[in-house]
Amino acid sequence: MRHRLKDIIWLAGKDYRNEWQMSGFFILALAAVLGPMLILFALKFGIVGSMLNNLIEDPRNREIRPIGSGRYDQAWIEQLNERPEVQFIVPRTRAIAATIDLKSETSKRIVSVEMIPTGSGDPLLKNKQIPVSATELVLSSNAAKKLNVEVGDEITGSLARRFKGRSERVHLTLKVVDIASTASFARDGAFAPIGLVESAEDFRDGRAVAEFGWKGNEVDPGSRKYPSFRLYTDSIYNVGRISDALDKIGIEVRTRAADIEIVRNMDRNLSLVFWLIAIIGLVGFSLSLGASLWANVDRKRKELSVLRLVGFRTAEIVWFPVLQSSFTAILGWLCASLIYFGVSITINQMFASQLNNNEKVCHLLPEHLLIALLLTLGSAIFAASLAGYKAAHIEPSEGLREI
Amino acid sequence: MVNPEALAGASLTGDRVLIYHLRDVIKTREAEGTAFRLRVPSLQIALGEKIALIGESGCGKSTLLDMLSMVLRPTEIGSFRFRPEQGAEPVDITNLWKKKRLNQLGDLRRQRIGYVMQTGGLLPYLTVRENINLSRRLLDMSDDGLVEELTKDLGIRQHLDKLPHKLSVGERQRVAIGRALAHRPSIVIADEPTASLDPIAAERIMSLFIELVDELHITVILASHAWRHINRLGLRHLEHHTERKEDGSMTETVVSG
Repeated sequence: MRHRLKDIIWLAGKDYRNEWQMSGFFILALAAVLGPMLILFALKFGIVGSMLNNLIEDPRNREIRPIGSGRYDQAWIEQLNERPEVQFIVPRTRAIAATIDLKSETSKRIVSVEMIPTGSGDPLLKNKQIPVSATELVLSSNAAKKLNVEVGDEITGSLARRFKGRSERVHLTLKVVDIASTASFARDGAFAPIGLVESAEDFRDGRAVAEFGWKGNEVDPGSRKYPSFRLYTDSIYNVGRISDALDKIGIEVRTRAADIEIVRNMDRNLSLVFWLIAIIGLVGFSLSLGASLWANVDRKRKELSVLRLVGFRTAEIVWFPVLQSSFTAILGWLCASLIYFGVSITINQMFASQLNNNEKVCHLLPEHLLIALLLTLGSAIFAASLAGYKAAHIEPSEGLREI
Repeated sequence: MVNPEALAGASLTGDRVLIYHLRDVIKTREAEGTAFRLRVPSLQIALGEKIALIGESGCGKSTLLDMLSMVLRPTEIGSFRFRPEQGAEPVDITNLWKKKRLNQLGDLRRQRIGYVMQTGGLLPYLTVRENINLSRRLLDMSDDGLVEELTKDLGIRQHLDKLPHKLSVGERQRVAIGRALAHRPSIVIADEPTASLDPIAAERIMSLFIELVDELHITVILASHAWRHINRLGLRHLEHHTERKEDGSMTETVVSG
């Protein structure tokens, strides 16, 4: 049986090659349907894919910002941090109390920056040195430029207050451990450990800061309340869950969930449109291939009956149209893949200047091409099944004479 | 080795070993109010015999050939035995039809029977060489020089690598004869093999065919409507007569021999 399947493949192949015009026509017809479909899907996958990728890559899309100010204590923040969806959370002090004036030796300007509390795992400082001690900070690139400093430089920070009717100013030496990208923070800013930010607030509020030797009223370290916090989830898909949970306990938040939803909706709708087009195309192709295979069986009745006469079995004759349509499927798919590769290279070059390094407008994964092959083979074999059924009913006696 | 049954078979019919042994085989066909019946009360064809079946079209030649080719199931069978070679067990064809062993019948056709069709029946996508080798290929037979010899005798050596449509009708018939004989079948069945040729070419090819069959000791059954040159080839004429009912509702052909 296996041996004769080999013979049937040989015979079907010979016939297929002998009628190369007909075979070639169907290969090209398939490529003409499948090629544009691959390109269409590649465009959808490439464009929506890089949009989604941008959303995923940009940590700001994972940020949940409370609106207005609340009163959150350390324990509450830590409790929130324990949720698996929360990737990073750090409390914020009052925004007005979190500014600091910076001065470097290489620039004459005094730059007033906002301090952003940070800590290990801060998504805005991915791949950057995280400031640990209370005298370290990471400057935003804007601030670094104005101060004309580089990583490792020391700068002077100063804070001012009115305390017991007198103006006071303190100075402290700070070390620039890294410089954040513009994408992380566009304005003049400095990522600082929460300790430094708290100290600045304490100083302004007239409390004593032992660490820096600043005098003031004594404080109860356990009584600190924060008006806000910086919170990032681990993925854009968990933003909704955490913001809902906060909403439930009365904390109003702002997220970019709507932007994410727009892109995801677009992905779904474009997929739907694509599959509609793909199904219409494949069904149309299957029907025309099926009709031609059906007619082929009639045309080749005599030859098929000769094969029956020389001893091929019914099941083996069915292979004849099935194999030939599989040849069409495989060769047509190969042509379509070539068309896709050619066109995608051109399209990607056209858009190259508007894209990041490894972003592509027109892009398919190997498994997409494999799925395309399997779908094409499936519909080709489906198209051949009726013809195969017809071929199976050819009587060997038909081969003995002209009818 | 000769088995006892083969000896018994031989003793019943003198020294003839029967390749076909049919008794009371009937095929009935009905179409548009008229019935056609082929009746074979008894038919014995010995190994190596050359049989001619001569008659006008519609007399039932084709029906008989189809049944002997094992592609047409008889309506009624008394007994139908096929012994492919001397010393082999006869195969009970009745049983194969009854049990619908169509694949086994196909295997018998592939191994034991060669066919020459009226218009060649060559596969247009195979070269002459591949056409002649088709049955040998399907049977996994190694080259024993027969194909070479046949193509030489048939005068088609220069055409071996051509496709059939490049050949004349006569040349195609020669290729068809080569294909029917190449796998050394027990029997060759030829239905009007020269009907599409001019009389001179027909006679030449027919003589060549019979000569080759003789040489290879292959049994042959030949159907033809032209009997003139058949007679000269020394074939046994299979007797048959056809009767029609007066109202035209029934035609019956009886064949025996």
